[in-house]
Amino acid sequence: MWRLNKIHHKSRWHQNNIDELRLRRREQERALRQARRDRQLVSKRLLLYEEEEETGVTMETASGEQDVVSLLLKLQRGGTEKEIHLKALSKVLRESSAQLSFIKHENSMHLLVGLLTGSDAQCRLLAVRCLHELSYSPNTSVASACMPATPYLLTFLSGPTTKFTETCLYTLGNLCPVSEAVKEKLLAQGIIPALASCMENQRYNLAVVEAVGFTLSQLLQATGAIQKIISMVMCSSLPTYLVSFLTPDSEFGLGAAIECAWCLHYLVCSSEDHQELLARGALLHCSSELVSLSGAVTQGPKEDGMELLVCPLLRIVGNLLPSCLVEDLDKNTVFTLLVDALCVFLQAYLCSSPSLARETAWVLNNLTAHSTECCSAVVTLNLVSPLIQLLPVSHGINTMVLRILANIVSKKKELCVQLVQLGLLSALCSTLKMADQEIVTLSLEVLYMLLLTSPQVKAEFLREGGASILEIIQYNDEGEIRQKASYLVDQLLLTQQQHTI
Amino acid sequence: MSRPEVYPFDNISAASRNSEQDPTEASRQQLSEDGHPFSFSPQIVRLHREHDMFEDGDIHRHLYLQDLYTSEAEDRTTLSVSEFPCHISGCSAQFSSLGEYEHHYNSLHRNVCSSCRRCLPSARLLDIHIQEWHDSLFAVLAQKQDMYLCLVEGCGQKFRTGKQRKDHLIRIHKYPPDFRFDKLKKERGNKGGRGQEQKVKVIEAVNDVCESEGVCEVLCNPMSDQPEEEESMEICEKEAPLMEDMPSPVQDSEVNALPLNPQYSRRIPKTVCFGHGSSRSFRGQRGRKK
Repeated sequence: MWRLNKIHHKSRWHQNNIDELRLRRREQERALRQARRDRQLVSKRLLLYEEEEETGVTMETASGEQDVVSLLLKLQRGGTEKEIHLKALSKVLRESSAQLSFIKHENSMHLLVGLLTGSDAQCRLLAVRCLHELSYSPNTSVASACMPATPYLLTFLSGPTTKFTETCLYTLGNLCPVSEAVKEKLLAQGIIPALASCMENQRYNLAVVEAVGFTLSQLLQATGAIQKIISMVMCSSLPTYLVSFLTPDSEFGLGAAIECAWCLHYLVCSSEDHQELLARGALLHCSSELVSLSGAVTQGPKEDGMELLVCPLLRIVGNLLPSCLVEDLDKNTVFTLLVDALCVFLQAYLCSSPSLARETAWVLNNLTAHSTECCSAVVTLNLVSPLIQLLPVSHGINTMVLRILANIVSKKKELCVQLVQLGLLSALCSTLKMADQEIVTLSLEVLYMLLLTSPQVKAEFLREGGASILEIIQYNDEGEIRQKASYLVDQLLLTQQQHTI
Repeated sequence: MSRPEVYPFDNISAASRNSEQDPTEASRQQLSEDGHPFSFSPQIVRLHREHDMFEDGDIHRHLYLQDLYTSEAEDRTTLSVSEFPCHISGCSAQFSSLGEYEHHYNSLHRNVCSSCRRCLPSARLLDIHIQEWHDSLFAVLAQKQDMYLCLVEGCGQKFRTGKQRKDHLIRIHKYPPDFRFDKLKKERGNKGGRGQEQKVKVIEAVNDVCESEGVCEVLCNPMSDQPEEEESMEICEKEAPLMEDMPSPVQDSEVNALPLNPQYSRRIPKTVCFGHGSSRSFRGQRGRKK
């Protein structure tokens, strides 16, 4: 039931005020950044249900604690009104005080598990909703209290009902990061094979696929025992499915693709051996997906949230490239198309998402560093000028772009004259004057390679006033930079002397 | 089977120092063999999960999970551009475009008189200034001939005194009476000790012009409270204790004296000259593009 739409946001935060939402987002962003620094970046997901979406309001009870106890007592007594009490309980359990009250009450979980596994289907659904609320709690003891239910939740994953399965999945997904002990227990109980068979059985239901992806991503984000988890995942059929769900669905949207992509990203960047994933076509699928997404970007207004899918796809490609053989790259045309797609993303995200633009440039660097064909593609697809225009932009983007151009100069020396005609030398005359030392260093390296190609290039550089630029750089703070500049000045002087003679 | 050269990326700036961290062998360019200090080779960069470059994307991912994601660009900062620093030693100005930087440079560092740090708007006026103010031969010749050249290019007329030239400029060429680039120099020998040795001390005391953006104001300060004939343009007056009789056109508070360097010439030769105590003026550079 998870959707990327505004209504959902509203009902979650009970806020119709856009400013409050913004404030909340900013606060949360700060908290997340700190969490990432602490290597504790974890998020849980809470499902909302149809009736709540319609009304837009969740019920708030005045005295949660009282209600919990009384509801539990009522439930213990049994009877025909179980459903009503359970429904009320699931709402009450939104409150943290009620949650604490619940776990303190003796046999409360036992009762809930009984209802979860009982013969009444509606009660099962409501019981799992209660568990879901508990699993969402940031309080470790509250979430851990769900553990007695997990073997059942895992069993239910192979069942046919979608809504129920979804709730089970998100509950399990919320439990994964609670603690190492919880995770170990889930692994021992066979969560990974359960996820694999769920994915297989319910692969036509994208809501379930999304839920499986989310739960798996929670496991893969763990830092402890990651290698064990990865090897278990790789042994299963999950990677093949993950690779097959990367395309957004016209009806369902991006949700499933996003989760699967992030799972693959965690798989790729947590290990060095990618042969399995390459064999299952991960690189090809991600690359062609990026190519189609770039088409969507150029065609019209950006689809809401597309960056959430582009980002993990870029990372997968970027980190898989080192493991791929050059021959395999060169024989597949999708990578030439990918070069173009990456330049589209660069332009599209430059202002709205500079960090995404930087990641794009990183992938293009890897492509051009690896494959000479891709270097040629940059030139033949007329992408050199747009790249040169990005050289003023900081955020680390111009450094990467300069690397890309350097790759081309280094690997395709015969294209150097063309690059000079397209304005590379003039651009270097600007980048050589920048404050960023890394840019200056890279510029000198590119300049050196260009000057080697022909005396015409040298002459052109002198015409552009390059000699005086280099003279100034000879007084740079950094020794390596001074050394490089002096070397080039000497080289140029040599040329000049030769000309005058 | 060709394997690429792969370097784990610890941080983005580490890439440029790849020579030290390089674990692979000799397929890279050698520093010593060919005798050149260049070492670039295409690098494939692998980024680990916790890398800084992944931070923003991770945060957006989690904001999405927590139902707080928006694709609106409301919180986006404006695109930042790399800065261009002024390379003049002592000048710490930075600019976000090459055009701005060049304008700064042309306004403040070009056509600077090395003796008195005045910045003149053109090479021609600089030449005239140097000749009239800092050339002792000029002073000698001026006693006998018309040496003061009309400032208007193409006019070519010469005058016996600065005052006469000024009158000419006002009358014939319709210049304002307080034209900033034709302040009259005080006659030598007046007002106590304005001789050669004084000049040297004056030079000593001059602070680096680049320190304040308002340097041109210093130079162009009309000093309207001065009687015109007696005006002196020695900006160093504010420091030298000898010249107490003249009110100082105080512009900058950060005055510091340069070390004495009696060797440097007042006019910068065509080759670049760096180093403490000299001013920078890139006259007649090879092919310098505007």
